[in-house]
Amino acid sequence: MRGTAQPAVHLKDLNMVFRGAQGDTVALQDANLDIAQGEFVSLIGPSGCGKTTLLRLMADLITPTGGELLVGGKSPALARQERAYGYVFQSPALLEWRTVLNNVLLPLDVMNTPKATRQARAHEMLKLVGLEGFAGRYPWQLSGGMQQRVSIARALAFDPALLLMDEPFGALDEITREHLNGELLRLWQETGKTVVFVTHGISEAVFLSTRVVVMTSRPGKIEGVVDIDLPYPRNVETRESPRFFELATRVRELLRRGHGFDADD
Amino acid sequence: MIIVAALALALYWPLMLWVNAGAAQRSLDNGAELGCTTAIACATQLRNPVLPAPAQLGNSLRAMSVPPLAPTSVPYNTLITAGETVVGLLIASVLGIGLAVALVGSRAFERVTLPWLIASQTVPVIALAPMLAVVLGQYGVQGWLPKALIAAYIAFFPVAVGVAAGLRSPDPMQEDLLTTYRASGWQTFWKLRLPASLPFLFTSLKVAATAALIGSIVAEISTISFSGLGKMLAENSRASDTLALWVIMLYGAGLGIALVAVLGLLERLVTPWRAGQSR
Ligand SMILES: Nc1ncnc2c1ncn2[C@@H]1O[C@H](COP(=O)(O)OP(=O)(O)OP(=O)(O)O)[C@@H](O)[C@H]1O
Ligand SMILES: [Mg+2]
Repeated sequence: MRGTAQPAVHLKDLNMVFRGAQGDTVALQDANLDIAQGEFVSLIGPSGCGKTTLLRLMADLITPTGGELLVGGKSPALARQERAYGYVFQSPALLEWRTVLNNVLLPLDVMNTPKATRQARAHEMLKLVGLEGFAGRYPWQLSGGMQQRVSIARALAFDPALLLMDEPFGALDEITREHLNGELLRLWQETGKTVVFVTHGISEAVFLSTRVVVMTSRPGKIEGVVDIDLPYPRNVETRESPRFFELATRVRELLRRGHGFDADD
Repeated sequence: MIIVAALALALYWPLMLWVNAGAAQRSLDNGAELGCTTAIACATQLRNPVLPAPAQLGNSLRAMSVPPLAPTSVPYNTLITAGETVVGLLIASVLGIGLAVALVGSRAFERVTLPWLIASQTVPVIALAPMLAVVLGQYGVQGWLPKALIAAYIAFFPVAVGVAAGLRSPDPMQEDLLTTYRASGWQTFWKLRLPASLPFLFTSLKVAATAALIGSIVAEISTISFSGLGKMLAENSRASDTLALWVIMLYGAGLGIALVAVLGLLERLVTPWRAGQSR
């Protein structure tokens, strides 16, 4: 439901500590962030800074050890019960015995949506990610990038208002990634969904987002937030504009600060 | 494959002459009526050769195969053994899959049961079979059924272990995926664990099929039997009829190959997504 004042995601002093035999890991320390409905927010930061952890917390796959976390104004557990979000994992995680079409149908099968509309919906999603010609193929017959697009179609199939995406284009070459960035941006604008997007790519984050959240590691913390005021529509020229460059530099500086490097070395 | 077969055949002939020559010489020295004069010539005509000449084997094969459905023919007895093995394998599959589901479903069940399952497999079949036959006989279970049960006894274990591994094989991410859909445990089982376990099931069934075949033949040898390959092996070995033993062995090998081939066919039907896949 757009237009309500309720933030899509709200975290207040959120903490996540993993207890282990070799001591505790503070994966997330006192994180504060509000994500409004319809925003596209990227999380960027060094490996191990708690990006995946934050997504998994929102998805109710793990439970925070402290602080407050609301998804659409509700507890993550309730949000999961209501199937309020779609999760795109770091690897496609397709079921190898299902065809591309049947993989997209999986959430609809599990959620028992009306049979009459299932097929049409799945075909529509495949079209959206440009794979309608591959409906009958098995996952192993597809390239990595195509598999990842199937997993995005699958996450969209049941029309969740919130998309949690964990480095969905991490394993792709630069050009394919830029192409899929464009597709994702178009999709986001058409559907008005809220997206939380984890990435290691500075230009990807700047190109896609309304805001970029920069994180640091040991302990995992939010270092700063960069508002991205690039105009729409964003395209190849956007990536070459001076403003894009400025914003990317801002993000880079925050990342360096988190790494403990000097801002201008 | 074909080259290896040709090579084996080419090597077979001199090997056969060599191992049979000694026995042929002894027969000649004893003045036996063989219709041949030199050890080499007689090597292909011994009544009970160590290695049969191809012509001898062919003749025996033909003689022992007709009429195909007579109780004394090898094909008929092969069918009996095949029946026991297949029924044993079916029982083993049901038992093995059921056990695997229970093992994966409950850690407590696994802790309590697994040591006993492993222990059950350390008892040699050859020792177990006569005892089992006697016990079952007291309950009126006789004929082919005890053999099938003995086959099942050694075949269920690979099925249980293989399927349990298969049910545990899904990627944690795939399990998380279903969690995000709020899938029930039942749905996770049907839509994720079970299909993921199918390739494992067929791999273990192929192992189990050979084990079941050994089980039923051993059971036929070591209990009172009136038919089956095992019974024929026991008879002919007492009679030192090596030609017959070779023929029975060939049928037994053929049965084993056929069982695995049928399973391979079934596998392609049940797991079509793997056809053409390189792994
Ligand atoms: N289940 C877990 N048990 C123990 N420690 C964990 C667990 N999950 C994550 N961690 C630890 O928490 C920290 C953050 O991990 P996380 O996976 O969130 O990092 P990340 O930012 O996603 O890194 P990457 O960019 O490499 O994916 C790491 O130090 C990791 O070792
Ligand atoms: Mg991660």
